[in-house]
Amino acid sequence: MITPDKINAFIERIPPAPQALQTTLRHLNAQDLTKAATSAKEDLALNAYLKNIVNKPIFGFRHEVSDISQIFGILGVAKSQQAVYNYMLTLLSPDKWKLFRLTKSSFYNLQAELTANWQKILKHLAIEDKEIESSIALLPASIIVSEALFNEKIDDVNLLRSVNAIDLNTILKRLCETDLFDISEKIAHKWEMDPKTAQIVQAASGIKPSDDEQINLLGKWMHLLLFFTLSKSPYVQAGLNDFIDFQIEYVESIYSEFMEVMEIQ
Amino acid sequence: MRAVVKNGIGVFHPQGFLDGNESATHLSIEDIEATINNNAVMILVSLKKVIFFNRNGLDAFVKMFKKVRAQTQATVGFCDYDSKKYQTILKFYNNELNFSLFQTQEIASLFASSYKNKNKNVLLYSEDKSQRAAMAIELHDNGHNPIVTQTYEEFSQKSEAENAYDEIITDTYLGQMGQSVATRVTGNAIIYTLTSFLDTDISDTFNIAYHNNSLNVGFRLFIFDCYKVVSMNIHALNFFSKLASSAAEYNATICFVGMTFEKTPKSFKETLEDSGIMFFPQMDDILKNKELLEELGASSAAVVKSKRMLNKATVSELPNFIDATVATIEMMTNAKAVKSDVQIQEITIKNTDDMIGSSIGYYGDLDGMVVLVFPLGIAKKACELLIGESTQDIELVLDTLAELVNIVGGKVKTLLGDHNINVDITLPRTYPNIESLMEIIEGKKGVQVDLLFNQEKFLFFLTR
Repeated sequence: MITPDKINAFIERIPPAPQALQTTLRHLNAQDLTKAATSAKEDLALNAYLKNIVNKPIFGFRHEVSDISQIFGILGVAKSQQAVYNYMLTLLSPDKWKLFRLTKSSFYNLQAELTANWQKILKHLAIEDKEIESSIALLPASIIVSEALFNEKIDDVNLLRSVNAIDLNTILKRLCETDLFDISEKIAHKWEMDPKTAQIVQAASGIKPSDDEQINLLGKWMHLLLFFTLSKSPYVQAGLNDFIDFQIEYVESIYSEFMEVMEIQ
Repeated sequence: MRAVVKNGIGVFHPQGFLDGNESATHLSIEDIEATINNNAVMILVSLKKVIFFNRNGLDAFVKMFKKVRAQTQATVGFCDYDSKKYQTILKFYNNELNFSLFQTQEIASLFASSYKNKNKNVLLYSEDKSQRAAMAIELHDNGHNPIVTQTYEEFSQKSEAENAYDEIITDTYLGQMGQSVATRVTGNAIIYTLTSFLDTDISDTFNIAYHNNSLNVGFRLFIFDCYKVVSMNIHALNFFSKLASSAAEYNATICFVGMTFEKTPKSFKETLEDSGIMFFPQMDDILKNKELLEELGASSAAVVKSKRMLNKATVSELPNFIDATVATIEMMTNAKAVKSDVQIQEITIKNTDDMIGSSIGYYGDLDGMVVLVFPLGIAKKACELLIGESTQDIELVLDTLAELVNIVGGKVKTLLGDHNINVDITLPRTYPNIESLMEIIEGKKGVQVDLLFNQEKFLFFLTR
């Protein structure tokens, strides 16, 4: 169904980050928002994406924000980097989703919801680290990889799952000895993202706890956040609720705290 | 979200948060209908991977339960929860609990008449006296040995005994139980479970097409589990007499087990016996008597009297059948298949060592049977994806092979459906060796396709 060759071909096809983005990220790393905005302006698609995502209700701005310098100024260095990473991920997403019933717009919403809630969590945990803030951007890579690898095999996957409660990550692991999060890590590596980003997302798979205490803790929060988000109506309808297995035991220790942070009663 | 249907039990597996009306989106009308169409006798929602739920979140599923009950009378409810979740559900639905709650899927399967393992020693406790009694009766009727404890102290004490019980039931509640004619396969016998009053409705609730195709696939022993039957009227009598006549054409046997004639005229028994139906007081009188089983045809299927020829419609759809099979095995093994030979003939298997077989029947616009013969190596490899590891346990391989053949059947159904040909599929059968397979298909002509997977010969045979 899916072979290691197919996975390698997919990884090969991942384009390197465009020049304008690389420059933008370099300036953001140097904490120079003005220069970052100038180079970001060269990428019109990035401009449109940032305007779209920043003006979503979940970010809570009263007036429309349309200028890139203004957007970067409001977001600050860490959130701007996160937004650029989010944009890079959309470059990998398909024009037309087949396996999951998503659209460009609903995928942006998913990114925005994850991002906004991840900020809440990091604020609660009193963590201020640009790379950790950005790590959430890589999480939906597992969704994009699933779409790319399984979209031609929807019927087979459905038949398989009608006789056995098996998630896409497990199918891939059993067939090719690699999983969706390993592939996400390769994407992060190709885009020269900080290694911490991939480590947190690997831990967020729920099946590969990290030996590093902080990364493991963040992995738990991210895993629970993912399923909190994927339990929402548009994503359940999109078929995302059970694409990977939710590991309740893994997140049990932070569950009560999570409910408080998300104000769930 | 689609349910996983296994041994007649369909289970939905939502994950995360069942919060508010959003949980209604977990189930579409198609999802529910697909589960009903799979002949599930029990439809459950597993709460194993649900970390949070509220009343609104559960209500969406409860509405689905009502809908299913109205259509099929299958047993419906929730399963896989801890004590806290159980108490919460009881609190939410206090006096309006008309669905069931099973602590685990394994416990639920004890109450499903399609469950194939019997004679389990089951320790049970419920605070509610009437629930204790209801569970004990259901378990007993399903062939298990319930040990009822009257107090929680007694239950705690007994449940500490190691290996004393196959299952321990607590935090379980029986709502309305199923009323339809449930079907299960034990070895090579098909067991139908009948309940309450047998009248003219039996012709609607009994799936005659399924029964006829089970005959065609090679099943020769049909047991009607009548422990829960209260009485029978003349319409049901006529129905079973006709069923017995059609079974006789295939040299098949129909047995009634546990039928009492307290409220049914004794003359009915004589009429049924005259038409060839046999009566036994207990299920074990048949299932534990190997000689009798052999005599009744459950271990050695007699050759079908009327051999049916392949017809043009079947042959013209042959590529679909082969595609479905090849695609499934390729998917499961990640190996490419090469077609080596196609012949219309009686099945020919040159090397019968270390080969196992499976078959699945289909019926509707077309009817027939797909037989697959696997070298043990390919079968094990194909099952690895479902089991998750390699195994030497042949029973497990055969069980998993049945799931795999079910996938082939499902794929055939879909592919034919694309050509506006509607078929349903029977339960799959597996054969631990070629001898047992040949008892079913020896002398039948069909299309034999030899395929090579990783240089190992795999055989596909399509017959009627």
